[in-house]
Amino acid sequence: MSADLLQVLASAGKGKGTRSLLRVIILALIAGAAVSSRLFSVIRFESIIHEFDPWFNFRATKYLVANGFYKFWDWFDDRTWHPLGRVTGGTLYPGLMVTSGVIYHALRALTIPVDIRNICVLLAPGFSGLTAIAAYLLTNEMTPSSSAGLLAALFVGIAPGYISRSVAGSYDNEAIAIFLLVFTFYLWIKALKQGSMLWGALCALFYGYMVASWGGYAFITCLLPLHAFVLICMGRYSTRLYVAYTTWYALGTLASMQIPFVGFLPVKTSEHMPALGIFGFLQLLAFLDYVRSAIPSRQFQTFLWLFAGATFGLGLLGLVIATSAGFIAPWSGRFYSLWDTGYAKIHIPIIASVSEHQPTAWPAFFFDLNMLIWLFPVGVYLCFQELADEHVFIVVYALFGSYFAGVMVRLMLTLTPVVCVAAAIAVSTLLDAYLNAKSPNPEEVQALESSEGKRAVKSGLRSTSKPVVGVYGLWGKGMVVGAMVVYLLVFVLHCTWVTSNAYSSPSVVLASRLPDGSQHIIDDYREAYQWLRQNTREDAKIMSWWDYGYQIGGMADRPTLVDNNTWNNTHIATVGKAMSSREEVSYPIMRQHEVDYVLVVFGGLLGYSGDDINKFLWMVRIAEGIWPDEVSERAFFTPRGEYRVDAEATETMKNSLMYKMSYYNYNNLFPPGQAVDRMRGARLPEVGPTLNTLEEAFTSENWIIRIYKVKDLDNLGRDHASAAAFDRGHKKKKATKKRGPRLLRVE
Amino acid sequence: MRLLATVLSLVALLGAGPGGALAASAAAAGTKKSAEERFQLYHGKALSSAPIKLGDATYRELTAVPRDYAVAVLLTAMDSRYGCQLCREFQPEWGLLARSWTHGDKKGESRIVYATLDFTDGRDIFMSLGLQTAPVLYFFPPTVGPHAPASPEPIRYDFTGGAQAAEQVHSWIARHLPDRPHPPIRRPINWMRWIVTFVALSGGLTVSYVAWPYVLPVIQNRTVWAAVTLISILLFTSGHMFNHIRNVPYVAPDGRGGISYFAGGFQNQYGLETQIVAAMYGILALAGITLAIKVPRISDPKTQAVALFAWASVLFIVYSFLLSVFRRKNGGYPFSLPPFM
Amino acid sequence: MRSLISFFVFLFAAAVSALSTTGNRLLVILDDVVEKANYSKFLADLESRGFQLSFETPKSESLALFHLGERSYDHIIFFPTKTKGLGPKLTPNLLVDFLNAKGNLLVTLSSGVPTPNSLVSLLAELDIQLPAERTGLVVDHFNYDASSAADLHDVLLLPPPGPIRPDVKDFFAAGAPKDSLLAFPRGVGAVLGPGELLTPILRAPRTAYSYNPKEQAETVDELFAAGEQLALVSAFQARNSARLTLVGSAEMLQDKWFDAEVSQPSSGAGKKAAAAGKTFNREFAKRLSGWTFNEIGVLRVNWIEHHLDEPGAANQSNPAIYRIKKDVKYTISLSEHAWTAWTPFTLPSASDALQLEFSMLSPFHRLPLQPDPALSTDDAAAYSAAFRLPDQHGIFNFRVSYKRPLLSNVEEKNTVSVRHMAHDEWPRSYVISGAWPWIAGIGVTVAGWLAFCALWMFSAPVPAPGGAAGAARAETKKTQ
Repeated sequence: MSADLLQVLASAGKGKGTRSLLRVIILALIAGAAVSSRLFSVIRFESIIHEFDPWFNFRATKYLVANGFYKFWDWFDDRTWHPLGRVTGGTLYPGLMVTSGVIYHALRALTIPVDIRNICVLLAPGFSGLTAIAAYLLTNEMTPSSSAGLLAALFVGIAPGYISRSVAGSYDNEAIAIFLLVFTFYLWIKALKQGSMLWGALCALFYGYMVASWGGYAFITCLLPLHAFVLICMGRYSTRLYVAYTTWYALGTLASMQIPFVGFLPVKTSEHMPALGIFGFLQLLAFLDYVRSAIPSRQFQTFLWLFAGATFGLGLLGLVIATSAGFIAPWSGRFYSLWDTGYAKIHIPIIASVSEHQPTAWPAFFFDLNMLIWLFPVGVYLCFQELADEHVFIVVYALFGSYFAGVMVRLMLTLTPVVCVAAAIAVSTLLDAYLNAKSPNPEEVQALESSEGKRAVKSGLRSTSKPVVGVYGLWGKGMVVGAMVVYLLVFVLHCTWVTSNAYSSPSVVLASRLPDGSQHIIDDYREAYQWLRQNTREDAKIMSWWDYGYQIGGMADRPTLVDNNTWNNTHIATVGKAMSSREEVSYPIMRQHEVDYVLVVFGGLLGYSGDDINKFLWMVRIAEGIWPDEVSERAFFTPRGEYRVDAEATETMKNSLMYKMSYYNYNNLFPPGQAVDRMRGARLPEVGPTLNTLEEAFTSENWIIRIYKVKDLDNLGRDHASAAAFDRGHKKKKATKKRGPRLLRVE
Repeated sequence: MRLLATVLSLVALLGAGPGGALAASAAAAGTKKSAEERFQLYHGKALSSAPIKLGDATYRELTAVPRDYAVAVLLTAMDSRYGCQLCREFQPEWGLLARSWTHGDKKGESRIVYATLDFTDGRDIFMSLGLQTAPVLYFFPPTVGPHAPASPEPIRYDFTGGAQAAEQVHSWIARHLPDRPHPPIRRPINWMRWIVTFVALSGGLTVSYVAWPYVLPVIQNRTVWAAVTLISILLFTSGHMFNHIRNVPYVAPDGRGGISYFAGGFQNQYGLETQIVAAMYGILALAGITLAIKVPRISDPKTQAVALFAWASVLFIVYSFLLSVFRRKNGGYPFSLPPFM
Repeated sequence: MRSLISFFVFLFAAAVSALSTTGNRLLVILDDVVEKANYSKFLADLESRGFQLSFETPKSESLALFHLGERSYDHIIFFPTKTKGLGPKLTPNLLVDFLNAKGNLLVTLSSGVPTPNSLVSLLAELDIQLPAERTGLVVDHFNYDASSAADLHDVLLLPPPGPIRPDVKDFFAAGAPKDSLLAFPRGVGAVLGPGELLTPILRAPRTAYSYNPKEQAETVDELFAAGEQLALVSAFQARNSARLTLVGSAEMLQDKWFDAEVSQPSSGAGKKAAAAGKTFNREFAKRLSGWTFNEIGVLRVNWIEHHLDEPGAANQSNPAIYRIKKDVKYTISLSEHAWTAWTPFTLPSASDALQLEFSMLSPFHRLPLQPDPALSTDDAAAYSAAFRLPDQHGIFNFRVSYKRPLLSNVEEKNTVSVRHMAHDEWPRSYVISGAWPWIAGIGVTVAGWLAFCALWMFSAPVPAPGGAAGAARAETKKTQ
């Protein structure tokens, strides 16, 4: 950039030089804006890692920085999934951690002492700046007008749909993955346009990086073959396509197979099969192309094309058969649930339970990409105007991106870039049309008309058959441009508002407004995790629902039974069963898993909606999936089919460990009979639940986190119920002994 | 003397009429066949036609204790008078399960009898069991013998979630019949469907072959493709998939007798609502396209001015309406444009 | 007063070293301090074994089991007290806390004296049932002392009790002279629940029964218990190895029965009284109190060690992490306390076994630990087992759980992680013969590619009739 700048200064005054200088400056400013608009959370709260998954990534990064890459690769993590442990090194996407590790060491080498946490917190904003530049490059491939590129960069920089996953502190794979996605697409377009192996290899390189970073790489793996296939169907097969695709596929697949977590999936699973099939099909086409050039006979060529089609059909058939026969693994659950949308809810509740896997309602679309949502179709339509290969790509991407985004909220992320590009094309076309000062004068136009009237443009869009005349009246231009400016201003305001209000709270720390409007920070999570860290043994096993596993591991540094990496459904179901069963059932499970403390999240006092009682039904469902005879979701609903926690709650509900732990001692906060659950607006029964096998260890300030200690076996060999009764001062009943035949001691 | 006896027997017969159930149970209790006999009898019946259709008496006899075999009884109401949709949906699956199990286990090693009791035949049973709903599937475990569980209470199958496939019920029953053969379900091949698909396929092929010359220009027409693409994009971005997955209502009545077009809350929506939104997006996109492409191509200044003004104002108004709708969905959204402030 | 006592306690502590493994502060609860004269020999024996005795009555002000949350005594003896309740200093909860704090209790009953409520409910918590007060007198019309209870038949004469199971160590009858007898005068029999923490030490003979002396009916209806179900002396050992012994007859500890002459009844007609002899009570009392107060039957784990058992592996001791499918050796060293000194622990019988479990959720290995003379010393015996780790990574436990009647519990758990194969611990590809075709394939591809390139670069078109120079020119022309 600086070199460019000097050169520009040297050749000052020349229009071209000043332009490129301006372009560079504007891009730099846009990148700056993209970074700075993601810093709300840091300014408002502090430099802290957000939510759930980032805590694991942060922990892994610290391990990497501390122990070096090979240790990281072979990392066996014995502090999660107790007692199974997790082969973490082989079951994660290392791209993110390695990236920040490299940055860390590079800065160290430059003698810039910086805390690894700050790198992790600021990684996402930094990469969002790069994403803006990548979007600029990609758009420039689409349209000659360079203003479109700048607009696209601006849109990507501040579109909430992307900010939602890349604010400072959300240290997740998506943080770098979106940049890689856009840049890979740019390289692909480049390679396709030039038919050059170099760009294809670069594309493969970044594709490999993408695979190392995010599971969403399957999106690229499916989109590029689809693009190639569409081009073929349009009769646009060319050696450029051949070179670009084969280079990308061969190198990219090799690169992706280097990731331990991916391994041989690219040749074994269905989501990678299209890429392989198109690869083979292209070879065939290339051969046919050669033959055709050799033997220029009409019938023979038709025969060849039929032959090609037949081979394709046969290949498809073979794929289906191989899949059904089990040579190729069918689609993985997550991926398959995108197509058969009812699938997950029935078969894999663990996936359906995740909130970011829910379908998207229209307000979410508008919320995330304000006016872009209606500029998007305009841009796509403009792509149809002169339908070059790269425009086909935009069209395909737009279709599938919007479908996926509609099915899954989190895939809004993959849609955002193409929306920004298309909208930028639309806006720039508008502005180009209405911003040039010189108006045409009617006479010339008439003349032009008469001359051009004869020949009509073939095979274009009907609307573009007539030649461009230009806009006459200045006031018209002014009106449209003014309106556009207003829209853009609203867009910027919207983005800023959404970012600061919706996407900038690290769900670790909750902010609430006091009656006088001042902000009040609710810090129960960290309070509780700090308590665990300071008051429990180094290896005390904590049982909680999987949502909190990563945070306990990261903040409290204690072993957990299950966490957000939900690789073992049975283990999660075990925890679900322990939570949803009676104490007598749960206690042996907890003993077997050596649980020392149980952590539950309870929002009843504060009216905090994300608590465990609200998630409870998912625990029940997941447990029922494994033990249909012992756990039954139906037993938690009243005969009238309601899910209640008050006096009318079912016995199963009242006796479940989760219920007891949530409401234990809760009555004491209120005058007798007045206990109220503010979250569910339910009045609780007169007498609270009693716990025999657990004892309350800690309850946070606002009762959001409650921690219980699992009692040891009774020293005198009594069961916990009677032991607890004795401690409460009840004498043992003689009558109980008399019942039934007296059992005699043998031995 | 003899007269008296006949009278007595008559009385007994008459008594058997109304209180049939009672008499039958008495008979079951009195002339008690051994469990083995009963099982052989009903298993034989089942082999001829599974599941067995029961009446009051046979039901009582079959489920009488002690029994060393298991019984799976479906209490249903097939008669159209009762309008039990679930019963009619589940009946074929049930028949399939019973048949394939019974024929898979001709010697009766799994010692289970499949039976069906219709409400019309077994009113009293329904009364005595206090059943309000149908269908109900009871599993009577054996009370004696090696496989008798701790509690002889019949187990009720949970029909929540609509009519179950035969496989689910099969696995449920198999769970309650441990260490015994579980004949798999054999679904008959649906020839009809195969034939239909084949015919349809070939028909489609012929039609396409014949109509190819006429279809080709349509396929190759860029405008058609553009239209298809735009429409599907509009559908997806206006939350159509959400409706599809959550099958939300088309419209819902508001409290005051009217209908509310827009669902309250950020996370849900109605069918009509999404269509309205899609229409708005469409209009906005159309206006944008026209302004970007059409208007600059209009050669006559007057028309161009009119078109420009019209489309620009349409764009402005619809967008402001869209904003107002969104404000309704998402309380506290601060931005708006005139006229819909 | 208390300060003075404690001062003396300290003096004694300085003077005599405790021979019990728990401590030597022994509290004796009596109705009246003068009663201790009846038990002088028994108490003298205890004192001679190094216990500091302090005597209290239930009502006394200075009595406190706990001082600042610490046990102020290690052991307690309850002699029969006439008072119904033992007062606020000895509530059942306090006694349970005392047990939980590893304190030991020796409780004695007498048929003549009502059992205090707190003791009854304490025993009820331990699942020991006593007959309703003063109604349980154990009599036996076949094994009674002819000399003292010729007509009441309420002084039972029994042989010293052997082990309850053949594979349990014999603590009480070992080395007893032949046909030596125990006198059990006017005792109460208890009924033990099925719990595994309870052990009957002395059972009533099959002909004994417990009846209510107050009711004069000829036939005894609703018998409390009879025969071997009557436990005359029973032991309870909590999970933390705290011990409680219930002696049905306090009298059997009194001096007059320690060396009384007893004679069995003449069995059958004609034969005269069987051989009379001195009772075995004194020795039995010594062993009983010794067991109760942790002088015998106490196991100690000296050390535990596990390490890689591979040739050429760095034999680091007790590593925190192993790798799957490695050989491992585990050794545990155990001692048993016998009256005065620690001795090597040996299994009581050949049929018994000391077992090691290597478990995650459920045991993957359960192996008998073999004696390891190399590591044994004269006061400790080492047991070890060597095995191969399972092919399953996870967090495992080396677990030794040895719980036998009358022996204190051994429950040891050492956690280790077992990791998977690291990426460079697999055999290299060229070692695997099955991989050779593929390696060869790679070689062929590379070679073929190079050959093709060479062919492509040096395949000149047919040289023009210009000769070599022309060919060269053609070459250059081509390559440009």
